[in-house]
Amino acid sequence: MTKLRVVEIARNLMMRNDAIAERLRDRFAESGTLVVNLLSSPGSGKTTLLERTLDRLAGRYRAGVLVGDQATDNDAVRLRRDGVRTEQITTGAECRLDADMISKALARWPDERLDVLFIENVGNLICPAEYDLGEDLRVVLFSVTEGEDKPLKYPLAFNTAQLAVVTKTDIADAVGYDRAAARTSIEQVKPGARILELSARTGSGMDEWIGLLEERIRDKALVVVR
Amino acid sequence: MHEVSVALSLLEGVETTALAQGIERVQAVHVRIGALSGVVRDALTFSWDIVTAQTICEGSELRIEEVPLVVYCKPCAGERSPRPGSGLLCPECATVSPNIVSGREMQLVAMEVPE
Repeated sequence: MTKLRVVEIARNLMMRNDAIAERLRDRFAESGTLVVNLLSSPGSGKTTLLERTLDRLAGRYRAGVLVGDQATDNDAVRLRRDGVRTEQITTGAECRLDADMISKALARWPDERLDVLFIENVGNLICPAEYDLGEDLRVVLFSVTEGEDKPLKYPLAFNTAQLAVVTKTDIADAVGYDRAAARTSIEQVKPGARILELSARTGSGMDEWIGLLEERIRDKALVVVR
Repeated sequence: MHEVSVALSLLEGVETTALAQGIERVQAVHVRIGALSGVVRDALTFSWDIVTAQTICEGSELRIEEVPLVVYCKPCAGERSPRPGSGLLCPECATVSPNIVSGREMQLVAMEVPE
């Protein structure tokens, strides 16, 4: 039998992604751009929330959107608006966006000065949680139909998000949504979590969401590093 | 679900070190994967066999150490392992702890090569 020797490597697998994410963070600090990374399962309402959000911010802030999907640019088409730069990132086999994909997409927007950049991640609560995209605000969405214990099934996504948004509250009663149970399970993976409940369709709860974004956009613009 | 990318990052890490040290053959690779990482052991092993074809790692064994989720529980003043599916809940005093001690690892630790 061949004698073997052990060679130590000690390397974090996220090292490369995290290094690119740090460079993105520097870039966004310089431009004063607030970056929001939206995570959820497929069908929780990321695109609808973004549509309503872009409408509300229109004319006051320069917004851009990067949309990740494994196939089709349907969501990017839905999000297209005057004055909003939108780009599809088709990830193919990859189940999430990574910092390198963001960096490459932004290389095609050299002169864009944005107040806020929304990144709609691939619909998936497992893989995207691992990847830092240089964002300021990670938002995890889940709709009232998905089961109140969802945070317990995907602890990392909820734990790494600064904000949890419960969507589709207009149908909460019809589907028997248990608000207290949902809050308890979010708390169980993220003690002290900030939680917003809203319906993009009826507009209920949207003021608080937009208010929070505007506050963060202004804060980011104030601390521009030059 | 992202096991193929994880396997590719592992391979890249191994190849970089091997190239720097003039290593031409790798027999085994040791990794640590945390319980929170969402990486499935079987899927990672399967991906490893595929991505290492025709590389210096072809036919090598991937040794996966699974790192359990451990939190620091303040009321208990000690490290505790929450039960699966209970979030960050201390199994003894039922307090939710925000302090994750381990369970997020995705580390390439070492490789075994012929002497």
